[in-house]
Amino acid sequence: MEANSINPEKWVDRYADYLFNYTIVRINDREMANDLVSETFLAGLNSMKNFKGEASERTWLISILKRKIIDHYRRNNSQKGQAEVKMQFRDSDNEGDWLEERVADLSLMTAEDEMENHELGLAILDCVDQLNEKQAAIFKMKTIDGVDTETICNEFEISPSNLWVIIHRARTSLAKCLEKNWF
Amino acid sequence: MKRLHFMKLSCAEAEKVCTKAEYKEAGFIEKLRLKLHLYFCRTCNDYFHNNQKLSALLKKADIKTCSSQEKEVFRNKIKNGTSKDF
Repeated sequence: MEANSINPEKWVDRYADYLFNYTIVRINDREMANDLVSETFLAGLNSMKNFKGEASERTWLISILKRKIIDHYRRNNSQKGQAEVKMQFRDSDNEGDWLEERVADLSLMTAEDEMENHELGLAILDCVDQLNEKQAAIFKMKTIDGVDTETICNEFEISPSNLWVIIHRARTSLAKCLEKNWF
Repeated sequence: MKRLHFMKLSCAEAEKVCTKAEYKEAGFIEKLRLKLHLYFCRTCNDYFHNNQKLSALLKKADIKTCSSQEKEVFRNKIKNGTSKDF
């Protein structure tokens, strides 16, 4: 197996979205997630010498990120004294008597559903990474960030019909990739 | 029949309109032509349904990405980090 090389200039373009998505599902706080991702990049830079090239760059960065997330939880847990247990007893004064107000809401997602969706998100990003760079960038802008057609066309200097062809191709290969890895 | 000629759509075009429709950017006439094509063409019909499934998956996954400003911050941090090292 050829050794994997390391290339920090490309980190942000290649891995930022994946790492960010990985973090945000575990720590439900945008700012904190951002801090952790940038900490991960810096830690990666500092320990570049330790990178043996056995794993891919991304796997290596993820393993650093995992440590960072655990550290974050530890930090939070050390302030545990302030934790407060809240119990909710039904208060007959404030709550309505209607049956609808008392039944459980079935439309709420269960924990398993949510977990599956997070994994799906990572699987999709995985597949998007396999597209070529321009395709991936355009697809992400259009589908995930919802940027309108005109803006993308101006930025990449392509015609709208060109854009649709690119997105169409990206979607086709994405569907194939997901079929292999997800279903 | 000749008058209906403008309604014809090739499979390649149909796939393109299909993608457009997923982003709600296909026009009324385009959608009409697509429907007509899908009625006759099995392959494109399958493609259309797969495409819809893909959209549903993408929506379900609810992927969050960092904004370009946040990425710029990362980039600067990495740059500063490297210049310190070397």
